[in-house]
Amino acid sequence: MTLTIATSIDDVLAAMANGARPIAGGTDLVVGARQGKVTMPTDLVAIDRVTELATVSKDGDSIRIGAGVTHAQLLTNDVVVNELTSVADAAALVGSPATRNVGTIGGNVMNGSPAMDTGAPLMVLGASAELQTSSGSREVTLADLWTGPSQTSANTDELCTALVIPQPAPSSGSAYIRLEYRRAMEIAVVGAAAALTLDGDSISSVRVALTAVAPTIIEVDGLDSLVGAPANDETFEAIAAAAREQARPISDLRASDRYRRHTIGVMARRAAHAASVRASGQIVPVPVNRAFGVGENPENIR
Amino acid sequence: MKTFVRADGPDKVTGSGRYVADLTLTGMLHAKFLYAGVAHGRISRLDVDKARAMPGVLAVMTADDVPDLRYSPVIPDRTLFATDVVRFEGEIIAAVAATTPEIASAALAAIELDITELPVVNDIEAALADDAPLVHEHWESYDVTGDTIRDRNVATFSAIEKGDVDAALAGAAHVVTGRYEADASHATPIEPRGIVAQWEGDKVTIWTSTQVPYDARDGVCETLGLPSNRVRIIVPHLGGGFGGKCGFHFEAHIAALARATKRPVKLVFSREEEFLAPDRRREGMIVDITTGLSADGDIVARKAWVGIDNGAYVADAAFFPQLAAMHIGGPYKIPAVKIDAQLIYTNRQPSGSVRAPTAPQACWAVETHTDELAAAVGLDPVEFRRRNLVRTGDEGIVGQVYDEIGLDQCLDLAVSAMGLPDLPADEAIGVAIGWWPSFAAPTGAYAKMHGDGTVQVITGAQECGTGAVMTLRDIAADELGVGVEDVQLVYQDTGAAPVGPGATGSQTLLNHGRAVESATQQIAEQLRELAADELEAAASDIVLGDGVASVAGTPTVSVPIADLAATAAGGDLLLGSASAPMPDWPSVSARCVGDQEMASWLAPQFSCHVVRVQLDADTGVARVLDVQTAHDSGTILNPIGATGQIEGGVMMGIGQALSEITHYDEAGKQKNPGLLEYKLQTIADAPTISTQFVEIYTPNAGPRGSKGLAEAPNVATAAAISNALAKLTGGPIRQLPMTPERVWEHIEAQSTGNSAEVPA
Repeated sequence: MTLTIATSIDDVLAAMANGARPIAGGTDLVVGARQGKVTMPTDLVAIDRVTELATVSKDGDSIRIGAGVTHAQLLTNDVVVNELTSVADAAALVGSPATRNVGTIGGNVMNGSPAMDTGAPLMVLGASAELQTSSGSREVTLADLWTGPSQTSANTDELCTALVIPQPAPSSGSAYIRLEYRRAMEIAVVGAAAALTLDGDSISSVRVALTAVAPTIIEVDGLDSLVGAPANDETFEAIAAAAREQARPISDLRASDRYRRHTIGVMARRAAHAASVRASGQIVPVPVNRAFGVGENPENIR
Repeated sequence: MKTFVRADGPDKVTGSGRYVADLTLTGMLHAKFLYAGVAHGRISRLDVDKARAMPGVLAVMTADDVPDLRYSPVIPDRTLFATDVVRFEGEIIAAVAATTPEIASAALAAIELDITELPVVNDIEAALADDAPLVHEHWESYDVTGDTIRDRNVATFSAIEKGDVDAALAGAAHVVTGRYEADASHATPIEPRGIVAQWEGDKVTIWTSTQVPYDARDGVCETLGLPSNRVRIIVPHLGGGFGGKCGFHFEAHIAALARATKRPVKLVFSREEEFLAPDRRREGMIVDITTGLSADGDIVARKAWVGIDNGAYVADAAFFPQLAAMHIGGPYKIPAVKIDAQLIYTNRQPSGSVRAPTAPQACWAVETHTDELAAAVGLDPVEFRRRNLVRTGDEGIVGQVYDEIGLDQCLDLAVSAMGLPDLPADEAIGVAIGWWPSFAAPTGAYAKMHGDGTVQVITGAQECGTGAVMTLRDIAADELGVGVEDVQLVYQDTGAAPVGPGATGSQTLLNHGRAVESATQQIAEQLRELAADELEAAASDIVLGDGVASVAGTPTVSVPIADLAATAAGGDLLLGSASAPMPDWPSVSARCVGDQEMASWLAPQFSCHVVRVQLDADTGVARVLDVQTAHDSGTILNPIGATGQIEGGVMMGIGQALSEITHYDEAGKQKNPGLLEYKLQTIADAPTISTQFVEIYTPNAGPRGSKGLAEAPNVATAAAISNALAKLTGGPIRQLPMTPERVWEHIEAQSTGNSAEVPA
């Protein structure tokens, strides 16, 4: 076994060209290997010291989140909290302080779990993954990236270097809500993200994506018909109905398919509502550090 | 007594404390177990030759390598290794010792094992079917002790009978019947167990994470055929137990490997093993209760059946039916009672004592039922309980007459502490009462005062996290008139201390406290005599306190205790040794069938928990916002420790109520043996918890009028949550835990008028 400790993207790409697998926080790879779910690769390249991967920046009309940005950084980053709030919601809900401090958004996205928390928010915000090799780079939409549970369309020598997100329009808001059985150390039973732009009281654009109800994170189709509709309970219920209809849930230890299908509607409705509240300029807090009472279930998204 | 910081606290909080997994001895090998992996089957082939031949493998042991005998208290139905039939997935087939854990794992994979699967007895009802396969084909051949009634898959049966229950039910103004089903849960200590064994000549020292060092010692002695004085059990810091580390488990396997290899051997469990292998699962339970009421709301009769999922081996569970029956009767005045209870073999992990065994589930059932009784007669649930609960001088369900007790005060205090807040539509308050016995057991203590006046107390007590052992220092300091910091404990070492029951049954302080009192009183008596000579006063007039011996009423006439100790060091040493005097058990008058000595309750403890619960009705997710508790555990000796026990017990109760569930597949195997899918509560889920103690000096119990405490807080919480949820969902949820999905299905069933049972 070899472990290369890289300090630049070029180092990483060189190692990957020779067959090494990247490791950042290791919260999926190492835990999975210990549990026997995955095989620990023979050659690893550590990317956690590559500072050029660990920044959030504005680049023209897009926002670029480096793949090495940790969940803890996401949930306190001003750009993410103010403009990509659903990503901050998701980052705040991930695991524990320990996992949030080392786990990265790039790792979360490339792990490809249908239960990942940052996936649905990134999808509704229109994010693409920037994939690099030593010979070039490409951008892939998330719908094209995720091909199945823990499967992506990336080649083994491609490194995810960033998530690239279009700058949201004015009067936009987004939110991520998940069903959880406890308030820390939890994984999504189901979850939903919504991104919504308002024109006065009516909706000028809306996207909704769903967590843990299909082999990958999926986006709800057919919401274009709601453009021009008022941001009210009837509209949010239409979103919930679409979510219930398009979900393809399984029954497992965490929930039955029947319960998942019901609750995905509840999550979609609440996410759309919270996104509209945020789009209108009001604050719905990010659920940071709930052990100390921050981010308590706000009345206005119930 | 004073509030103090426990002596083992800084070690544990800063990480400098050492646990079994931290120990490394020169030449140490690593052990791993091969488990059956199927719930019921017959071994058709077991060949360990290839594993034995692997480089780095120093021993592979099976049933052929240890004495052929069955062990376990009351019903010896267990062997160290599977001999022929395997009865649950965690049954040990073989044990390996190798130079590294990786080689040990590879050796396990090289063992050739074929098991012909047998029909699986997967739950209580399957076990009771007329044509059910027998979990123990030769159950009649086991050499049981005591008044133990058995029949096929019924491992033990107990009943409590008082009065003519059928006549009383026939004459009742209201009769209410209900069925309540509780799933199994786990103790889940954060430290997975570890064991290190090392032989020196014909003696073995075993470092192990056990709550009961003497049971561990006796188990090793019995199964390996050793006398008591050749086995020494030492427990470094213990990382929690909650009952899961009671009993004798795996120490003999590791001692046998160490003897065979002539090397120290270490075992450390994975989290999955911690879920699958120990015989200390919290038992699943089905309860059928029928209660008759007078028109005014007095309980006149109760008839009930309790079925308890024992799993494959009885372990310490023989008494569970009788204890469950006591809880199904509850702390109420009921003139006519017939409660039948069965401990039932299945092909699941064995059940055993987890914190307040049988009580949280049985209390959940009976207190949910009690709110239904109150509704039947149109009484407020609190008023109904006030009317029927036992008070000082009342006779309880087995005819025991209670000395001074504070149950009524517990109810009043907890209910009034919660008050009557204006509740939003998605919140409700639930109330439940509970009880739990105190257990007395033989133990002793040694004490010595050194020449400099400092004190060493040698106790068989085992600290499992409660802090009870730490309180022993305070008792010794109080008896001897020295500071707590001048008292050190030697504990958790069977080679040093007299026998003790260990950290089980909330009895650490109750028993060891009395022994420490007696042993240190002997030294105090010697000090008084020395001081009497020195101060020219009568020994009976000498008072010990603040580090000096003085004449009563004349504190200026005094001598430092350290000076007396220095004098004694010149010849007649200051030593004390004593057994704890055994209390008298109260008498009972009901007919106790299959008596396992759990009907007469010494110094019973009482509690009331009142919870405020918020329900997200769209998802069934419930959240406990506020908990008010009141407990009668007699005198409280260590308020910080006692309050911590209540808070921990409440959190464990919330987990049992809402999230801790063990899923089984069709083949009888656990589906969620890990901390991701077995949902413990976290600190972020913790509500505000407030506690009041009803301190009644209780004679014939623990030191200074105390009772037990550690298990009582784990009794009533789930029941109180159930009663709050029933108010929010239109009726009781008859399954425990009340998971979000079950709550949501229950709401759905209420709204559609469909009373169909909820899927698991």
